[in-house]
Amino acid sequence: MKKTLNINIGNSIIHIEEDAYEILTVYLNEVKQHFARNADDFEIVTDIENRIAEMFVEILANEQRQVVNFQDVQTVIAQMGSVKDFESSEEEPEEYIAPPHFSVKKLYRDTDQAMIAGVCSGLSHYLDIESRLVRLIAIATIFLGGSGILAYVVLWIMIPRAVTKAEKMTMRGEEANLKGFANSYLQPLAQQSRGFIAEFLDVLGNFINGTGKVIFKIIAAGIIAFGSLCILSLIVALAALLGLWDSNIYQMFPLNIVNQDYLTASIVAVFLVFAIPVLALVLFSIRVAFNSRPANKSLSFGLLIIWLAGVAVASFYVVKIGSEFKEGAEFTQVNDIKPYQVYTLNIDRTRFFTKEDSLRYSIDPGNYNGRRILTDLDHNFDAPRNIRLNIEKSENGKSYLSQYYKARGKTFEMALKNAQNIHYDFLQHDSLLTFSPMLQFIKAGNWRGQEVELTLKVPVGTKLNISKNFSRYLDGYGYWDCDHDSSSEFTVWKMTQEGIKCEHEEKENNGE
Amino acid sequence: MIAENTQTQMRKGILEYCVLLIISRGEIYASDIIVELKSARLLVVEGTLYPLLTRLKNNGLLSYNWVESTSGPPRKYYLLTEKGKSILIQLDSTWQELSYAINTSKKVADNDTNDQININK
Repeated sequence: MKKTLNINIGNSIIHIEEDAYEILTVYLNEVKQHFARNADDFEIVTDIENRIAEMFVEILANEQRQVVNFQDVQTVIAQMGSVKDFESSEEEPEEYIAPPHFSVKKLYRDTDQAMIAGVCSGLSHYLDIESRLVRLIAIATIFLGGSGILAYVVLWIMIPRAVTKAEKMTMRGEEANLKGFANSYLQPLAQQSRGFIAEFLDVLGNFINGTGKVIFKIIAAGIIAFGSLCILSLIVALAALLGLWDSNIYQMFPLNIVNQDYLTASIVAVFLVFAIPVLALVLFSIRVAFNSRPANKSLSFGLLIIWLAGVAVASFYVVKIGSEFKEGAEFTQVNDIKPYQVYTLNIDRTRFFTKEDSLRYSIDPGNYNGRRILTDLDHNFDAPRNIRLNIEKSENGKSYLSQYYKARGKTFEMALKNAQNIHYDFLQHDSLLTFSPMLQFIKAGNWRGQEVELTLKVPVGTKLNISKNFSRYLDGYGYWDCDHDSSSEFTVWKMTQEGIKCEHEEKENNGE
Repeated sequence: MIAENTQTQMRKGILEYCVLLIISRGEIYASDIIVELKSARLLVVEGTLYPLLTRLKNNGLLSYNWVESTSGPPRKYYLLTEKGKSILIQLDSTWQELSYAINTSKKVADNDTNDQININK
């Protein structure tokens, strides 16, 4: 397959193959140059062009072809005679003074010797400087505020690429004549010039393959190391989750979302979903870094299939488990609190164990007498924050605690069941109100958005000593503004008509 | 080199004369002139002919008519002008003179060599 061009020669439209066109152009340029000093040059050249057109038409008609090829052009040129033949029968050879030999040099980008887009090598041809020097200057200009990069891009867009052999010869300042042409004719035809963007991508690709190879390999090596580590830890995690550890791990968030029955399948699925892309990335990086042959097609395909299967299983469980969050239910329980003028609010990290739990943890009451087992406030992995505390003004002059138990489930019934499964510890010991930092499940269950919202209602004028531990469960009370005495474990608040106020502030306001 | 130069000069003059002769026989197309020249063993490439024809035309020896062609663009058919005809007559007589000169020179040269041989005998 060859590309053809349409030319208008001697008022005839001729289809001509690209290489044939090139040699014809060179020939006609030579002829024009030869007759340029003749007064009748235009007429002579027109006659010659007409005749060439006629010969093409004849050849095509005789051989019943559509397109003029390289051979045809050579035949025609042989018949018409080269410039050398003209010279031998020159009219006045003595008078003829050869014009100073100036081969017209043109500025093209030399993509054959390009580092990026051939701007520098093109300039080096044009200016007759060594390309290394041009590149050095170009790199130096980058440090002049990066102007070199802008200039490079502008030149890249402006300067045409030397595509044809004739252009390449003109670029090097070689005369684009038939002799030079013959020398370079055996070279393969250059790729056709395309758009700037396409070329840019090409160049980027070449850059990655060429100059950027080293950098790229380093990055690839980093990816390989990091990716391998990821895969390794994923495998360890998989093995651990699949039974090397005790089942308590499944009580932790987010594993406690997943129903016990689905656990194994969903863990494997999630493992595949994450591990396979990492594996693919590592394999790809190995390929890039070591230039090894492309990964086995069936291997890639197999990996893809396994990954898709993993995605399918994982999404199946996500949807299935997600549906168990569809309905919400909540109920309220109100506990009256004995009235006091001052309450102290604290968080008690003591864990209360059911009998079962005590047995499970082998807590022997005799042995543990006088000891308390505390939960860790800072490392509560059981669930997203599920305790909310509010302190509000009581309308009826009584103190009480409203406890909202909330949960979600597949149906309202399930949601309510889940909410009822919540156990929350609240204790009043005289004026000391002790809250638990966490909720517990009466029966073991999955996390279904269980939440307890506690609203403490106290009458106006009641003083509250709030412990710092407690304050972390309070939202939007400006607790830190009230924390004047950092050594004290408590901050002092007072219930007013507008809600609780920091007592310190209150005093200031009254003083004014 | 000198031989080459002389050859070129000789060919050039004769080529012009021959072209005029061929055209004098009637209106003719440039590539047909080539064919005639080739059969006359006066080897020329077509490219040489066009400048020559153009020069002769501009000097008023030739004129041409555009003739429609079946295979392509219209062709220039050349013919001799009155001036061309008179110049051709002049050239004819010049050629007679030249040919006589050459023949005579050759004969004398032949006689000379013959004489030499006779003397040697």
